Amino acid sequence: MRRSTAAAVGTLTGAALILGVRLSVQPVGAPVAAEPAAQEVTEEPAPDESSAAAKKPAAKESSKGKASAKPTEEAEDESGLKNGTHQGKAVQNPYGTVQVTIKVSGGKITSANATYPKTGFSGTINPNAVTKLGQETLKAQSAKVDTVSGATFTSQSYVTSLQAALDAAGA
Amino acid sequence: MGTVVSIDIADDLPEARLRELVASTCAWLHEVDARFSTYQDDSEVSRVRAGTLKPADGSADLRLVLDKCADLWRETDGYFDAYAAGPLDPSGYVKGWSVEVASARLAAAGSTRHHINAGGDIRMRGTAPDGGPWRVGIRHPWEADKLAWVLAVREGAVATSGTYERGAHVWNPRTGKPAEGLRSVTVVGPDLAVADAYATAALAMGEPGLAWLAKRVADGYESAAVTDDGRAFTSPGLPVA
Repeated sequence: MRRSTAAAVGTLTGAALILGVRLSVQPVGAPVAAEPAAQEVTEEPAPDESSAAAKKPAAKESSKGKASAKPTEEAEDESGLKNGTHQGKAVQNPYGTVQVTIKVSGGKITSANATYPKTGFSGTINPNAVTKLGQETLKAQSAKVDTVSGATFTSQSYVTSLQAALDAAGA
Repeated sequence: MGTVVSIDIADDLPEARLRELVASTCAWLHEVDARFSTYQDDSEVSRVRAGTLKPADGSADLRLVLDKCADLWRETDGYFDAYAAGPLDPSGYVKGWSVEVASARLAAAGSTRHHINAGGDIRMRGTAPDGGPWRVGIRHPWEADKLAWVLAVREGAVATSGTYERGAHVWNPRTGKPAEGLRSVTVVGPDLAVADAYATAALAMGEPGLAWLAKRVADGYESAAVTDDGRAFTSPGLPVA
């Protein structure tokens, strides 16, 4: 499990980094460029989870990619990415709303961030927002039921089980 | 499989027909036992274990079961493992799968309202005898004659894995030690074999399994779990009656 958690974080970081790269190679469109990028992020979450571990190295690679993209960014400097913080349009997807924010300084994107849904189930894109199992008080109740689910009993222990009593009652 | 299967058919059918349906279900389950048992030397699984049968040369059912076990091994980060004890033992998948098939066959034969309970793991369809959803009790992990939850389910499966019935029989493949931390894990969802595998995997993970279970909600699998020290947890969509 520890590995799984770490991997999920890796995926998230990876998504942000890939996002950074994509933004940096966007053709000049300036702040508005955040918009399609947001959609790119949201379309991809589902397959990430299972192969998350494998993606971790990929995240590192994309961060290298970002570094090597720097000259391009500088070229864009002239064409004018406006300095400041730019927020993309909030984009709805099946997991909730995602909004991307980029910071531009000296014509270069210095950071890219995305806000993820806080409610609902969104574990595939934001492991921190998983709706956890809620804790409650363990009850011991008797009630009329049709059948009982429990740890697999053996033929021997079946005899004394609640299910056996139900079966006998139904017979 | 060394357990007891209860079959409850609620359809308004002639008694003779009901008996036929129950008999054919039992025949199928015995057939599965003969083909997949690890105790019978001539079963397909035993022959794979002995090296006298290549999985690729096995029946379509055997290949399907092995494929699904491999899928679940990946999905559960290795915690559901048909090779956990060394040689191949797909029983953890076969039980749920055989009941899934049995229920589908019953449906195809005209039974739209039934449940099959195989040693505490249940697949149900349609409505209960009283016309409402099936009321499924989840056994209390310490008090054998009490229930911790009552669920209302029409279509789907409820599987529970726990350490209270057969002791620490689930192993954590990472530590090589018996699973600890969770005493009982129940998973509710569309497919019994998957629900059962998820419950077993979470039990093997121990308490981190609670966070793992939370992620399965996105795939349509709700859950309820009790820790060794008696804390109870449920996913938000658990169909509590």
